[in-house]
Amino acid sequence: MGIGDVLSKERVVNGLKSLGKLRLTVNHASLLTFSTLLLILFIAFVIRVLPIKWEIQAGSIHLSEFDPYFQFRFTEYIVKHGFISWNWPQPWIDYQRWYPWGISIAMQGFPALPFTTAFLYNIVTALGVNIELMSFCAIIPPIMGMLACLALYFLGKDIGGKTVGLFAALFLALSSSFLQRTSLGFYDDEAIGIAALIIFLIMFLRAIDENRPQSSSMKYAVGAGLALGYFSAGWGAAYYPIDATAVFVLVLILLKRYSQRLLLSYSLTFGLGLFIAINVPKLSPTYLATAPILAASGVFLLLCVYEISQVLTTMKLKVIFVAAFLALIVGGFVALWQLGYMQDIAGKFLSVINPFTRITSPLTESVAEHRISAWGSIYYEFGMTILFFIIGLFFVLRNLNNRNLFLLILGLTSLYFASSMVRLFVLMAPIFGLLGAIGIVGILRPFITLLKEPPKIVTKRKYSLDYVGKEFSGITILLIFLILTTNFALSPQTGGVPKVYSQAYAPITITVGSIPIVPYEPVREWVDMLEYTRELGASTVVCSWWDYGYWLTVLGNVTSLCDNATINGTQIENVGFIFIANETQSIKMLKEYDANYTLVFTTIDTSGNWVGVGDEGKWGWMARISGKGKDRLISSGFMDASNSWGDSLEDAEKFGNYTLGYDATDSNEDGDYEDDGEIYANAKGQNTTIYKLMTYARDLWLYENGISDSEPTAPEYFEAAFIAGLSLSADDADKYGGIVPLVALYEVKYPSS
Amino acid sequence: MFPKASDLHKPNKPLIPNGLGVIYVLASATYLFLLYYYFQTTGAEVANDVASALVLAVCVLFGGFMGLLDDWMDLRWRYKAFFPLIAAIPLISLATRLPLRTYIVLPFFGIIDFGVYYYFIIIPLIVTIATNTVNQLGGLNGLETICPGIILSGLMLLSGSSAILLAVPFFVWFVLAFFNFRGKIFVGNTGSFAIGITLAAFAIISDLKTSLLVSLLPYIFNSSLILLTYFLFRTKAAVWFDGEKLSASHRRSLITVVAHNRRLTERQVVVIISLLVAASTSLAVLVQLFWT
Repeated sequence: MGIGDVLSKERVVNGLKSLGKLRLTVNHASLLTFSTLLLILFIAFVIRVLPIKWEIQAGSIHLSEFDPYFQFRFTEYIVKHGFISWNWPQPWIDYQRWYPWGISIAMQGFPALPFTTAFLYNIVTALGVNIELMSFCAIIPPIMGMLACLALYFLGKDIGGKTVGLFAALFLALSSSFLQRTSLGFYDDEAIGIAALIIFLIMFLRAIDENRPQSSSMKYAVGAGLALGYFSAGWGAAYYPIDATAVFVLVLILLKRYSQRLLLSYSLTFGLGLFIAINVPKLSPTYLATAPILAASGVFLLLCVYEISQVLTTMKLKVIFVAAFLALIVGGFVALWQLGYMQDIAGKFLSVINPFTRITSPLTESVAEHRISAWGSIYYEFGMTILFFIIGLFFVLRNLNNRNLFLLILGLTSLYFASSMVRLFVLMAPIFGLLGAIGIVGILRPFITLLKEPPKIVTKRKYSLDYVGKEFSGITILLIFLILTTNFALSPQTGGVPKVYSQAYAPITITVGSIPIVPYEPVREWVDMLEYTRELGASTVVCSWWDYGYWLTVLGNVTSLCDNATINGTQIENVGFIFIANETQSIKMLKEYDANYTLVFTTIDTSGNWVGVGDEGKWGWMARISGKGKDRLISSGFMDASNSWGDSLEDAEKFGNYTLGYDATDSNEDGDYEDDGEIYANAKGQNTTIYKLMTYARDLWLYENGISDSEPTAPEYFEAAFIAGLSLSADDADKYGGIVPLVALYEVKYPSS
Repeated sequence: MFPKASDLHKPNKPLIPNGLGVIYVLASATYLFLLYYYFQTTGAEVANDVASALVLAVCVLFGGFMGLLDDWMDLRWRYKAFFPLIAAIPLISLATRLPLRTYIVLPFFGIIDFGVYYYFIIIPLIVTIATNTVNQLGGLNGLETICPGIILSGLMLLSGSSAILLAVPFFVWFVLAFFNFRGKIFVGNTGSFAIGITLAAFAIISDLKTSLLVSLLPYIFNSSLILLTYFLFRTKAAVWFDGEKLSASHRRSLITVVAHNRRLTERQVVVIISLLVAASTSLAVLVQLFWT
């Protein structure tokens, strides 16, 4: 065969034609799906990075709120010292926090998020991209939020087809609680938790799918185990997927839907997942002995029993087996109980099951996100999609296959949990989105079929209506569209502004000086203060209320006494005592810690009234939390028994029932306290250290701005080192909505004796 | 364009377009959206972050949607009756954030303050009662359109500046009522659910609960009669059409009470019941204006 034959016209043409087969063949529908999905992901990402507006003006990207700084510090350590450094050769104890004891990060932190970020950061920097670690951490939540939406698309696609997937992804992208916790800078456990939860669900549901070959089931079971392990190593809420799955499998057993595949997948997934979990130092093998995990193990045992009883054939063998099994369980339970392994579920999670247990602890109660959510907030959160959620439940109930059964259990349990703790709304968001999508698609499906083809759809009707016209189904679709419009575009809950927009378009806490406004430019007082403390050196001890602990340690590079990790209740009581006691008592306590500085934060309006965002709104908690240590403080000589206070609300009111340092009586009984003479000074409140520190900063601002003539009297043992916000003029305060934030740092002057 | 249903009370049972209430739903929603955009200050004000026009729009849309579901899905009455509870949610949210009264002033009883139960019991109750009773009185040309229209006009008269919320919906409804009365169209369940929810939502938004309840008296009478006879005797109400006039042999609903043992034309029945509703509405207006 000569070269001429090889290059003959026909062969060349055919060769070129066969090249054309390599082209991706994309049909119209999948192109549409793909572009819609891309658009949803784009929206999901863009609304999550909206707060970057203020960050660009401020010059650097910060993390929002408080907890993300814990994660950041952990990540920073891993990036600097390597992946195992935090727990090997010995656990890292961070002495810049919870002075003088320090805090063991290994025992307090979940490593999954810092690991993920450090891993990605190493890759990115190895590629030569020069980005600050904090900015990188800040951008992780939006990316993870977007990935969660993508994952939910695939879960929805598995359950009800592409349309369900798309709707579910859209609902999740626009869900306000999820948006809040994955927006720029919200670098916390939830960011990876939700994505891991969804991936776990996809994998596990595929693993128990009877239509797949056994080998593929095994692969998915391993995948689900890895996802579960990742979740457990990343977020304390891992009890939820574990127990929801256990309940699901239990229901399957009760419905006689047991299969060997179920046993195999369940044991593989949970074995792997829990194996990863117990290797997390914070969880440790005792994790297996906690009640929620024991429940999951119980279900595993049941599965085994079921399997064995199917193998056993004679009645006698069965009876022996069941008796032995029961004896084993009872014996094991008693043994564990006697040995003290049945540890209590962590207080936080117990309070979900019984909302009333929490009331006794002001420490947990003072954190807004742990409060019991009002039922009304479900409407605020989900709007009229509640309707589609309910219809989704209806459709799921009508066709109870394994997937739908799991979805039903998830829907009902998440609804229950979310209504008992605000923070858990975020767990509900993907499931709510999924069920809402199923509801919408279920309703629309017949109408869409009708639009596509002319056959008559017969409907039941008392006036014997026989078929619905095409236009009619068009109207139905329009109506559903309008209902969704009121949910996402014209939300009545937020006065017509899109809910998503009003949630997302808010600056990061520290960039806005911790005051709840949406200003045109960043509020710099807090950043100024932390720049100042950075000059003081890492070993300087600054005493502040726990909210500001992370900022002081991470951004201010000083040593703090307490922060949001709340690991040491006694220390928080002591810090509360420092602020709420009078100066002489405070100074004794401060001496215990050798604190060099004290920091208070207060917000006033331009005529000197307290706004309530700073410590002037937190003193009540300081009083009640320090009151918890009443007996201890009295016996160790810090608190005067005749002048003591406890942890009740009435005790806090001893310092002023109107506000700190002021009492009010409605003497003319007209129902309000604003008349002359009804508000009068409370000496005990005005003697507190926090009152003196806050009023000095306030009076100084009023004096320096010429609003008040009297020169303020300085506290006895505290000397103002730096008060951020003092240079702010009354005109400047207008751009902050008339609020003057004052961050005051006082040097502690111990008496010489 | 619209599905057809036969008119049972005409000699040859002609087919008539059904489900035109959806026009009311769409027109009202559009109007309320526009109102929110252009006139946020008049009646549709945004107070405490709640836009009343939008709340009303949500309720009307929801009512229409519920009617469509009813037309299409085979839901039992006992479930359907509780559907309006969902529509009560936005109203509760609105009421908790607007400084609405939590008490009801009843003639003879005086002031009853419900406190927090007002939001979680009274509002859902009003919405459920209004929607279901309005839906239950129908079946004659004009009946399911004219009577709610009369109540609506009474409420608008009393509501002051909030009346603007219903200006266009009211007009559209009366156009529908005109054609419905003349036997040209039916508004269907879409219409009757939507108007029922409009009544309830508007009464709550403009704080006119007592007036609504007084106006609804004929409706409540009708529903109680139907439910009572059904639960006690397992019998249902039916009017008999002899090709010319209506008559009934029993008293199991408002219509049969009116047509009991006397032959009346369809129009006569509708006019009599409308007059009854007009009377109760006037009573409500008088009570509101002079009693409280």
